[in-house]
Amino acid sequence: MIETSGLRKAFGDFIAVRDLSFSVQPGEVLGLVGPNGAGKTTTLRVMAGIIPPTSGVVRIAGRDLAREPVEAKQQLAFFPDEPRLFDYLTARQHLAFVARLYGVANHEALAQPLLEELEIADRADQLPAELSRGMKQKLAIACGLLHSPAVMIFDEPLTGLDPLGIRRMKDSILRRARAGAAVVLSSHLLHLLEEVCSHVLIMKRGERLAYGTLAQVHAQFSNGDPGASLEDVFIRATGGSES
Amino acid sequence: MSSAATARALLLLRVTSLTGQVRSRLARLRQPKYLAGAAVGIAYVYFSFIRRLQVAHSGYGPGRSGAGLPPELLGLLPDLGALILFAVLLVNWTIPRSASLAFTEAEIAFLFPAPVSRRMLVHYRLLGAQLGIISTALIFTVVFGRRSAFGGNLWFHAAGWWLILATVNLHFTGTAFLYSRLLNRGMTSPRRKRASVAGVWLLICALIVWVASAIRIPGPGDLASAHDFANYAAAQLRAGPLPWLLGIPKLVVAPYFAATGQAFVLALGPMLVVLVAHYFWVLNTTVAFEEASIARAGKRAARRAAVQQGDWRGQGVARSARRPAFRLAEHGRPELAFLWKNLLATSSLFRPRVAVVVLVIVLAGSGLLVSQPQLNGVRLFAVTMFSLVLGMTLLLGPLLARQDLRADLANADLLKSYPLRGWQIVAGELLTPLSMLTGVIWVCLLGCVLLLPEAHRVLLFNPWLRGAVALSLAVIAPPLVAIQLLVPNAAAVLFPAWTQSAGNRGERGIEVMGQRVIFMVGQVLITLIATVPAALGAGLIFFAGFWLVGVMTGALLAAAMAFLVLCAEVSLGVLWLGGRFEHFDLSA
Repeated sequence: MIETSGLRKAFGDFIAVRDLSFSVQPGEVLGLVGPNGAGKTTTLRVMAGIIPPTSGVVRIAGRDLAREPVEAKQQLAFFPDEPRLFDYLTARQHLAFVARLYGVANHEALAQPLLEELEIADRADQLPAELSRGMKQKLAIACGLLHSPAVMIFDEPLTGLDPLGIRRMKDSILRRARAGAAVVLSSHLLHLLEEVCSHVLIMKRGERLAYGTLAQVHAQFSNGDPGASLEDVFIRATGGSES
Repeated sequence: MSSAATARALLLLRVTSLTGQVRSRLARLRQPKYLAGAAVGIAYVYFSFIRRLQVAHSGYGPGRSGAGLPPELLGLLPDLGALILFAVLLVNWTIPRSASLAFTEAEIAFLFPAPVSRRMLVHYRLLGAQLGIISTALIFTVVFGRRSAFGGNLWFHAAGWWLILATVNLHFTGTAFLYSRLLNRGMTSPRRKRASVAGVWLLICALIVWVASAIRIPGPGDLASAHDFANYAAAQLRAGPLPWLLGIPKLVVAPYFAATGQAFVLALGPMLVVLVAHYFWVLNTTVAFEEASIARAGKRAARRAAVQQGDWRGQGVARSARRPAFRLAEHGRPELAFLWKNLLATSSLFRPRVAVVVLVIVLAGSGLLVSQPQLNGVRLFAVTMFSLVLGMTLLLGPLLARQDLRADLANADLLKSYPLRGWQIVAGELLTPLSMLTGVIWVCLLGCVLLLPEAHRVLLFNPWLRGAVALSLAVIAPPLVAIQLLVPNAAAVLFPAWTQSAGNRGERGIEVMGQRVIFMVGQVLITLIATVPAALGAGLIFFAGFWLVGVMTGALLAAAMAFLVLCAEVSLGVLWLGGRFEHFDLSA
């Protein structure tokens, strides 16, 4: 569903992502973790087609993102860490706008249950300025889910949510993965990732340090300690520093 | 902590903040965009103002424009200055507001919980405001300097401006304090608050009516010559309540208008009394300014955050939901979705319903004016206004109507995640300002065509030819506006850092002014170059058509040619910019 091979992204002399390859199959949830400046957000933005890679290939649902960007993006939803919304559009107008761009038929019938699931139905006619950060996050998620994407990319999806919101977000991600979506998400909240992810990719300075199922990565870095958490694994894998 | 120690700490904060500000402004000159901006800005200020100022004060050259005024009118300038000042202060009184002082969020965080007295905080803010006031006074001295035929010198003018602005600043602060006190002192009922504001407004209205009733409408004799007008104006300024009302404002502006050193010193005494009185007024009006100051700082911080997040105009957020201009169907061209979306960001005037009403008014109004020869003056005025709006829309419209990529660049990541090609996003984004400006241009053209006087012998007044020319212009207008819109949109994508600093209203300094000048000149230059092929093609077709099929058909064929060339240019521009947008990365 998501395949990346030899992904490299350079900004001038600075290499943000080096030779990164991995794949995410339908039903899998890949957690992208790494210290600040590891290249996680750059990787996600390249995968979402927001910035082109310097080299390498990204395939979304079998479509090459560079050659068939429109068809690939049709299958994709990207959720940035900071919800990006249009100041002058109400929640409902956001959904109408997105529905037109993705060609979603009968969007009103689809939007209502989505708004209710995310508990923003009563705010549907309000502008982003009238919504809390958590509400904005939910609206951005509703916009992303409206076209039933096969691939979902979340950058720090749990930031700004209250405990109940975090629980619901986790459930929502798991439910969609079980329904066959391929999900990639990055977060610094490792104990939460541990509950959601089936796979994990640890990055540092743009390079892949570890990649595999949670059990595989655990086995690689737990030093035989069966009680080691993902946090312990992460610290051992990265050497406990950013540099 | 003793008050002297507090004062020293606050002074240290002010001085170190100022030093840091100057240092960072100088440091940013290492970036080419600021260095180039500074060079152009300095050149612009020098050639536009300072050089003229020098020439004016040397007594030679065109800069001495104030000398164009007759002596009778020159003598009235202090009275007129006092009248303007009085009007400004009166308007200030019409705006009820809470007392607030312009603290930054950091100042609030550190100073409000600190053991610093209210009086000290007010002093700190008043001192802080002086820097901005001095800068403004210097700018005003340079800008208004050439109107210096009433004498004096640069230093008197600068000091005069500073005294006026400092007094106005204190007066505004005092008014806000007074309003706060008036509205908050035991007045819990909104109705009573409204009644107090209404009372102030009533007083102001009564004052205006009193002044207006004492003023005589000028007759033809009063406008016969500058001398007659000066006599008339002098009589009005010295009649009725005006001499009383302008008494104190006259004292405030007197140093600025002082012609000699002695006159300046003599004017300074009474002026300083007014200034000191204002100072004590502000200082002794006990009012809680903290809450409003926090809200004010919050707004400033939100604006700055909006700029940092890519909303380069720092407009922040919308206040209320608007009704869409049209219903967005589920299927159709995605570009139209951008038109629908961006129209929501415009004033509700830009709606089809309003367009129909305007059209009906223009048609009906034109019909009435044409059928009534006694209304020829109004007709001429209307034509002039339509022409002016038409010209302004063509020249400035694309710079002012920014409901396109420039406004949406903060959401570039979101736009790029949509299943659209770059050119589709660019085309969609251009549609809103394009349709708004085209609508205005077409209405103005229609007004001009209907209202221009008919005279078959004068070429442009021939109704048929006039119709052909208007139709030609109406056809050319959309692609011409689109080209002009492409330029600033391309600049935003190609030079985001430049656009960020030049387009941000909060950014100040001569280097930012220089950047704006560079953008403006670039915009005009590129638009001119882009219109050359269309003008050449249209010119050739027109002259060929003129000889072969007549002037009117020639004009229409030329317009069609220009339209095709401009459309081709716009298409290429949109495709190219779309490609650039696909590779655009604001974070890089």
